[in-house]
Amino acid sequence: MDEDIFYGAAYKGSKRFSQWEVPTANATGFGAAADDYMERGIDLNEQLIHNKPATFFFRMNSDSMIGAGIHSGDVLIVDRSIKAVTGKVIVAILEGELVIRRLQKNFNGVVLMAENKKYADIPLSVFDERANVWGVVTFTIHHL
Amino acid sequence: MKAIVDCNSFYCSCERVFHPELDHKPVVVLSNNDGCIISRSDEAKKLGVQMAGPYFKAKPMIEKFGVSTFSSNYNLYGDLSWRVMETLRVLVGKKNVEVYSVDEAFLDLEEMPSEKLQQLSIEIKETVERWTGIKVSVGVAPTKVLSKIANHLAKKNKVATQCVVVLDTEEKINDALRRTPVDDIWGVGRQYAEKLYRFQINTAKDLQQMDIEWAKKNLGGVMGVRLIKELRGETAIKMEEELVNKRMIATTRMFGQAVDNIKDIKEAIATYTSRAAEKLRRQNSAARTVSVFIVPKEQSHNTYFRHGPTISSYITLPAATSITQELIKPAVQLVNTLYEEGKIYKKAGVMLSDIVPDDSIQGNLFCAPAKNSNRLLMTMMDNVNFAMRDDVLKFAASGTARDWKMRQELRSKRYTTRWNELYEIK
Repeated sequence: MDEDIFYGAAYKGSKRFSQWEVPTANATGFGAAADDYMERGIDLNEQLIHNKPATFFFRMNSDSMIGAGIHSGDVLIVDRSIKAVTGKVIVAILEGELVIRRLQKNFNGVVLMAENKKYADIPLSVFDERANVWGVVTFTIHHL
Repeated sequence: MKAIVDCNSFYCSCERVFHPELDHKPVVVLSNNDGCIISRSDEAKKLGVQMAGPYFKAKPMIEKFGVSTFSSNYNLYGDLSWRVMETLRVLVGKKNVEVYSVDEAFLDLEEMPSEKLQQLSIEIKETVERWTGIKVSVGVAPTKVLSKIANHLAKKNKVATQCVVVLDTEEKINDALRRTPVDDIWGVGRQYAEKLYRFQINTAKDLQQMDIEWAKKNLGGVMGVRLIKELRGETAIKMEEELVNKRMIATTRMFGQAVDNIKDIKEAIATYTSRAAEKLRRQNSAARTVSVFIVPKEQSHNTYFRHGPTISSYITLPAATSITQELIKPAVQLVNTLYEEGKIYKKAGVMLSDIVPDDSIQGNLFCAPAKNSNRLLMTMMDNVNFAMRDDVLKFAASGTARDWKMRQELRSKRYTTRWNELYEIK
């Protein structure tokens, strides 16, 4: 699964840093030994953004995907370069509007499913990846 | 082979990324201050909306046909432009991309096998569109001038060409040149075109066949020779390294509404100076000359959009500096000398020139060098403003109310640069 590839070659984000930006232990004597092991701290971008020029942020503003653990107010990370396959949560283009739904392809065709019983499934008579998919949701950021 | 990748109606394309309902609908984008139309979608062009035409003139038509209109959202366009260029850098390698403008880039494809160029161009076009949402046209040919012609043909026949034209054989090039009038050639301005027409040089093909020695004498020397060589497929305009440091930095704006008092003009000038100084520091430079200009509005009613002659003046500082307050002071003093009571002003600007690298400032024997604490203050101010945005830290001379500020009534959200303006999805 492509979610597992965390260090894509295309990543051009915050890995650009010079050795001078690495904080030194600023200590003398024994403490200085730690200097040799100083490395750059953990950066969330590495984990959450695989392809920076193709990654966009959205804000969730409904309870339609509550079953998938996406709550109103969450930040959605959307990657336009990932292929939308069945089962993925996508930002879909529906009659000129952007909506978030799970993409479900089966023998009868393509359905955009909400993760909340209050919302009806949206069957698509024709599905065109280019016309119907804006991007694939890869992560959400949720405030506890 | 060289390629030019050019975004289709870039600003309109940007608006469509987050407004898919506008696909295949007429869209226009207005300039700073909502004065003129600066970008039109194909659908708007078909309706006859004029480029660079004043907005108020086109307004009846815009309302009649329901053309979607936006104020310019430079934060969004700048971000999407970066994404397009970055995608190109990922695809063909950083060293092979020359960013030519906000929406155009030349690519050096010398390393590509020629039989793969068509396929590669289509891949470039589709990947950029898939990743960024921006539609582009690609023109490929042996030289920059020819690639521009290829791109022009691609844009003129979007459906037939799928926005990709590769001129890789002599026949294709000749055919393209015959179909291109000289004023469509890259680098040929209106005056130069008139000159060519006077010599009975009507198409790019005619120009290509001119004698080089004759051109040197009659077609403006080097310029004519370069054009002819490029049209013949000989490289005369090389790929350029990105221009990292600007030789001149200008900040110019129209006022949101006409301004008549000196206090507002001074505030505007102070603000523009701060902005220019920030740009100066970002490229690690310092400037020695500060120029200020103000443009009065012409008094008569029927020339609503014309403005009077520009009034300008400049001052040369004892030493080059990049410290905002050292630049604001002379700039604001210049306003005193330029301002005339009773006149109404439409526009003002600041230009910094005589730019030198920050680390090699020529000292002046008679005045103390910039204090280090000022330099630190500037770094801190830039960092805070960059992180917090919207110029949270500014000099008091820039004022606080900003009555003269830009009018941007129809601006879309800054979806890609502001946390509080993200697209809200259901």
